[in-house]
Amino acid sequence: MEKEFKGKIWKFGNDIDTDTIIPGKRGTIPTIEEMKKYAFELLKPEFASAVQPGDILVAGSNFGCGSSREQAATVLSANGVRCIIAKSFARIFFRNAFNSGILLIQCDGVQDACEGGDIITVEVGKCVRVNGKEFPIGNIPENLLAIVEHGGLIEDTRMRIAQGVKPSAHIELDQMQRRKSGYTMVEKLLKKNAGVEHVAPGDIVVTHPDMFMIHDIYTPYLYDTLEKMGAEKIDNPDKVTIVFDHCMPTAVAKNDYYHYNAGIALSEKYGIRKLHIGEGICHSIMHEERYAKPGEIATATDSHTTTYGGAGNFCTGIGTAEMAAALITGELWFKVPEAIKIVLNGHLPDKVLSKDVILKILGDITAAGGQYKSLEFTGPAAKEMSITARFTVANMALEAGAKCGLFEADEKTAEYYGMPLEEIDWVKADEDAHYEKVLVYDVSRLEPQLSCPQGVDNVHTVSEVKGTKIDEVYIGSCTNGNLEDLAIAAEIMKGKHVPDDMRAIVVPATNKVFKDAIEAGYIRIFIEAGCVISHPCCGLCCGMPYGLMYDDERILSTANRNFIGRQGTKKTLSYLSSPAVAAATALTGYVTDPREM
Amino acid sequence: MGNRWIETILGGKAGDAVTVEPDLTLVTNGFSHGAIDYTEGVADPDKVLVMYDHNIPSGSPEDAKVYGEILRFAQKNRISFKQAKGYSLQYLADEIVKGGQIVVTGTRHAAVLGAKGVLGIGLCNTELGRVLTTGKYSVVIPETLVVKVIGTLPKGTGMTDAALCFLEKHQELRGKVIEFTGSGICDHDKAVMCYMAGETGAYAAVWTEAEDPDEVFNLGNVCAMLRMPCETVQDQTRAAFAKAATLEDTIQAGQIGGCNGGTIEDLRRAVALIEGKKLRYSFRLTVCPATSSAYLKALEEGLITKFIDFGAQISAAGDHSIVPQGAGAMGPEEKLLTTGLYTFSGSMGCEDARIMTASLETIMAYAAVEN
Repeated sequence: MEKEFKGKIWKFGNDIDTDTIIPGKRGTIPTIEEMKKYAFELLKPEFASAVQPGDILVAGSNFGCGSSREQAATVLSANGVRCIIAKSFARIFFRNAFNSGILLIQCDGVQDACEGGDIITVEVGKCVRVNGKEFPIGNIPENLLAIVEHGGLIEDTRMRIAQGVKPSAHIELDQMQRRKSGYTMVEKLLKKNAGVEHVAPGDIVVTHPDMFMIHDIYTPYLYDTLEKMGAEKIDNPDKVTIVFDHCMPTAVAKNDYYHYNAGIALSEKYGIRKLHIGEGICHSIMHEERYAKPGEIATATDSHTTTYGGAGNFCTGIGTAEMAAALITGELWFKVPEAIKIVLNGHLPDKVLSKDVILKILGDITAAGGQYKSLEFTGPAAKEMSITARFTVANMALEAGAKCGLFEADEKTAEYYGMPLEEIDWVKADEDAHYEKVLVYDVSRLEPQLSCPQGVDNVHTVSEVKGTKIDEVYIGSCTNGNLEDLAIAAEIMKGKHVPDDMRAIVVPATNKVFKDAIEAGYIRIFIEAGCVISHPCCGLCCGMPYGLMYDDERILSTANRNFIGRQGTKKTLSYLSSPAVAAATALTGYVTDPREM
Repeated sequence: MGNRWIETILGGKAGDAVTVEPDLTLVTNGFSHGAIDYTEGVADPDKVLVMYDHNIPSGSPEDAKVYGEILRFAQKNRISFKQAKGYSLQYLADEIVKGGQIVVTGTRHAAVLGAKGVLGIGLCNTELGRVLTTGKYSVVIPETLVVKVIGTLPKGTGMTDAALCFLEKHQELRGKVIEFTGSGICDHDKAVMCYMAGETGAYAAVWTEAEDPDEVFNLGNVCAMLRMPCETVQDQTRAAFAKAATLEDTIQAGQIGGCNGGTIEDLRRAVALIEGKKLRYSFRLTVCPATSSAYLKALEEGLITKFIDFGAQISAAGDHSIVPQGAGAMGPEEKLLTTGLYTFSGSMGCEDARIMTASLETIMAYAAVEN
């Protein structure tokens, strides 16, 4: 590629999330050519029609945070953007952008020296210059430059296939080697799978993930990408799961049928037999079916893939092109992340839940505070958490930008998975491991927390938000749609009724959760309390039409994101909380402290 | 010949102009929410009910906007507001209205209340607005057609098939009241006939014990039928019919429920038809309990669990027969068999999706295949 080039600047601020780049509700548009017209439609509606090939985006920190949606990168690439300069990038977007043929440059300082419309010059690996000022930039790894030079990962993989993909040897560390002390959990998990005796942060390791998962948002794009790469077969269909959960039940008429059909086609063409159609949310199914196991590696085309870290599984989201390449080769490279140890001391008070813990942490460290880190949870309160409570925390670790969120594998993990403890108890934080930092919390004094409009890290205590009028409550999602979440909500709502003007929606995470909740009487309690029940699916969490809101209405949800426009219009105000706060709030119509019910 | 039912309930003879005070005026987010734009105050708020019952949870911000409008209308006029109860007409029939009452609302499907001996009338929004404002409703009492229903349904057909056959025969009964009569018909089947009789354009329908029929309708002659797609909602009562046996295309989805087919009796029959069978591969089946009470009964009887195990998707209780966006919406050129009564273009998603009304029996025969 050219070593020096120029382009016109489009300027952006900090924390530009993937929903801002391309709104979640546009995520099921079948073609990128059509979808690209909606790039930045909420923030800069003129962008898609005015951007020119070769224009350069200059942004603040944490550009591309949020979802794993590769379209956030591909719509920019399809609009002609070939370079983005930012103070920092969200980690999944970072991979997706390179895989889409966009050069990403990390640079702090240039943002204050330029405005939109200025012309900036880039000298790759050396500096950027604008308005007479020069700013140094770092080197870019050769493998990433090669992908950009080939026009993206698709062409890069085509070339590999043409040369003949040879399966690489996969020899994992044995039990004794994986027990060697001095490592963070993420280091142990990566080196075990990669079969290397020592790793350190920054190392690149090549792994062979134990399970790949694709959900239906990405089935058409994955199918299309595999076709473009020329793949007639994939490495191991038995290590692949397809879940129809975002677009099933089909609800967005022009789009969802296409995703459904593509999922069926993927399954049939590549012999993928782990197919879950309308059975619930992918991440919940991944642990419910024991597809993502302690001590192993799983990856999926979704940012909340971090969920299974609650069971000591290294799991992280990737984009569609990368998934396609990994399915063909069976391999996936990772840069070993730095780790932050989070010690949870004390005991959670009654009706204060693991969701409150992760919201508190998110408020403290912010949406960029865990950027490409492994958040590793330990301490007595972590140990006291149930396995599903741990999944909740790990699920939302991503919202801090984390590569993964890991819990130690213990007796509860072994029991949930039906595995001998001695097989997995090496997944623990070593006392002599090197952590970038250690955060210590006493959860005994924690009160319920809420993410307030409009950002996951805009966290306040329930005392600060109490009394805010709420129009709709949504209890569900891969974060808090599990049986014990429904149990606490049902306990609070039993024998009571929501106000006439409160829309309360309950969506069990999976069919199993749904059936167990029926058996336990929770669904009856919800209906008698005035809630409506939707079939297990991602639903409103990802902006699908299961309770979308209008301007100035307020929704309180147990889900994981409250980005602008996600649950309705760009003027809809979204709050996030635990199921206990949600249930209490549903009963009063105002943000309510469940401890006072 | 004594008084016809409609003459008794409206207090006059056919052809007389009368003014009555309806016992209940119903406004929903379905067709009738526009009536609030034609309302200047509400004469008797105690005789009005506002319900949010169509396509819930809201399928778009615009749906939520309508919710807000009818909620504020109810609050401003101190009218009872209900949501999460399910489909309003079924809720009224099951839990609120009594024989001899008069209910006005914004859909011809109000005829379903005739199965309870209630006069259910569908009005346009301007007239509904006038009723809300004045508390009064004026009408020239219509003529009546008495239909005696005899015989039993052939195997593999249901009362929806019977109603479709009746509709095919009577495509123009505009302005008339249909009095069905006959013995041995269960309450559920009476409701289906009244419900669908509204599709003839009839003013109302009812079941009585009248003994002087104008014609006889023999259930034994019924065959499985389809109501075919039509262009616009205005064309709905003129939509074509076809025998279900002619159906050769691949069908992508089926829906049980909506404004028809989601009662507890329907859900029981559907479960009986899936016992020992499995869902056809790559076929999407949606089940919509009509009311929250029906949902609760279905939970209690294990029906919902059986539907889940079968692979069906369970929608929230309510009406899901018009879903431009929301659970069950259909893609371009896809085909849906539904017990719902709307088949117009765009009623269930894309404009070029083909929507066909069918009986629960026809839908389940397609959906459930041998294990």
